[in-house]
Amino acid sequence: MGFRKRGMSHFLKRLKAEPVEVILFLCASSSIIFLFLMLLFIAKEGAQAFLTFGINFIIGSVWETNLDLYGAFPLIYGSLMVVAGAVVIAVPLGVVTAIFIAEVLPFSFRDLIKSLIELLASVPSIIYGFVGLLFIAPQVARLFGISSGTVALTASIVLAIMSIPTIVGVSGEVIAAVPRDFKDAALALGATKWQTIKSVVIPTAKSGILASIMLGFGRAIGETVAVLMVAGNVALIPTPPWNYLSPVYPLTATIAMQMGEAAVGSLEYSALFGLGMILFIVTFIVNTLADAIVKRESKFRSGVK
Amino acid sequence: MSKVREKVLFAFLGIPTAICLGVFFWLASVLLSGFGTIKWNLLTASVLNGGYLEMIVGSAYLLLGAAGIASPVGVLAAIYLVEYAPRGRLTRVIDQAINNLAGVPSIVIGLFGYTFFCRQLGLGISLAAGWFTLSLMMIPIVIRGTEEAVRMVPNAFKEAALALGASKWRTVRSITAPSAAPGIITSILLGIARVAGETAAILFTSCVLVTRGLPKSPFEPVMALAFNLFVKIVALGESPDKVFGIAFILFLMVISLAAAATAFRIYYRRRQPWLK
Repeated sequence: MGFRKRGMSHFLKRLKAEPVEVILFLCASSSIIFLFLMLLFIAKEGAQAFLTFGINFIIGSVWETNLDLYGAFPLIYGSLMVVAGAVVIAVPLGVVTAIFIAEVLPFSFRDLIKSLIELLASVPSIIYGFVGLLFIAPQVARLFGISSGTVALTASIVLAIMSIPTIVGVSGEVIAAVPRDFKDAALALGATKWQTIKSVVIPTAKSGILASIMLGFGRAIGETVAVLMVAGNVALIPTPPWNYLSPVYPLTATIAMQMGEAAVGSLEYSALFGLGMILFIVTFIVNTLADAIVKRESKFRSGVK
Repeated sequence: MSKVREKVLFAFLGIPTAICLGVFFWLASVLLSGFGTIKWNLLTASVLNGGYLEMIVGSAYLLLGAAGIASPVGVLAAIYLVEYAPRGRLTRVIDQAINNLAGVPSIVIGLFGYTFFCRQLGLGISLAAGWFTLSLMMIPIVIRGTEEAVRMVPNAFKEAALALGASKWRTVRSITAPSAAPGIITSILLGIARVAGETAAILFTSCVLVTRGLPKSPFEPVMALAFNLFVKIVALGESPDKVFGIAFILFLMVISLAAAATAFRIYYRRRQPWLK
């Protein structure tokens, strides 16, 4: 941008010339302000739970409203279990799809298929939950001979379907950003298309693909409504712990289910905000890391050019 | 590796893509199968008579209000970031904060909305609280879309205006914003589509199961399609096929919004030759 003045030293001078910049700046800062307010208010409401239970709020294994005992470990475990299952299903499907769309598919199809997958991303989570409850859960129950299909596995499947568009979208962008010169160089050396993909495209886009997986993970762990509808919602660690055919109670589902009945100011109310705090911090860290990876990549690449 | 073997390999790579598309068409066909069973006159009938009117209008109120807040804030923020922001630490922090806001789980946004807008600001369970809460989810989408659109306006356009003596803000108003308008509108439409089916964020902030008529002021609670679907299945335990109508209307609404955004973008890409 030719007319962009650099540095804060010019700030006051420009402000005099164009007071409208203050309004623009305030709008741009709204994200910081609201993130800060979010942290503040959720921490304030959740403080009582952390003060009452200490570290046991996170590692305690009993979540029982009737006893007023809140140890979130089974819920955290439930969230991680469902998300891990979803990652195992969604990552191979998503990444291969992204490679296929960017490198193999003829150009004329690319926009159409990409638009369809974008459309898939905008389907609301309650619709996924609805379809999961109506069609996927009964199939899971029939296939494995269990009485109820609302178990961790079903939640993982639904969540995987929902995460694929994110993974395809972001890793697609990263793959498309691999410089043409790299590929041309490989092809000119006599590599076949597959060899080029395997030894040039994938290694170059590797960390970007990792970032897309992390973004998908961040999205998935915060997903509420769809997961809640098919996870079964029992606040116990499954026995054995890897049993995907038992119901679980993810963090998000607990908040959504219990907020309605928790009296404002009660210990339960505070515990639910405590869960919100855990979610906020985890997604904040995951997203920041993913962004850092993407930024480092693009810096590296502009250095190459 | 021979050409034939490579073709076979590529065909195998296509399987996951086919699965993804298959899932989409399956989902669409499942929901569109409700097309025949919908009684269309119920769309305009009151909920008290078994219709959907208050839910549909309530959802529309929520979306329009949230868009009314998020669009100006998001567009102005994007213009600041592209045209005004100095390159420095503060700008980088703002940029990062937008990504982080986009990544906050909707249920956490809902919790915040309840304690901040409903209780701290005293809005109560109301339409207005829902507007603010949903706009928090829309703002990052609008900012990112608008930034892209503003960046695509050729520098030559802006330089011409500046050379004619226009101030920077004047250039933004008369040259940059109008040229980027189609992209801006697309991003707003996408933002609306993204929150149209949002349930977790309005769960505690603005909705009730039944209202008598439509809300008369922004400080009254509303009905919404997604909220009703959720409560009827999860809390009241109604069998899924009984609420199929609501799911179908919601799906249709969201998909048409998203499709409209995409179609709008493709149409204007062709009309504005500088966008390739």
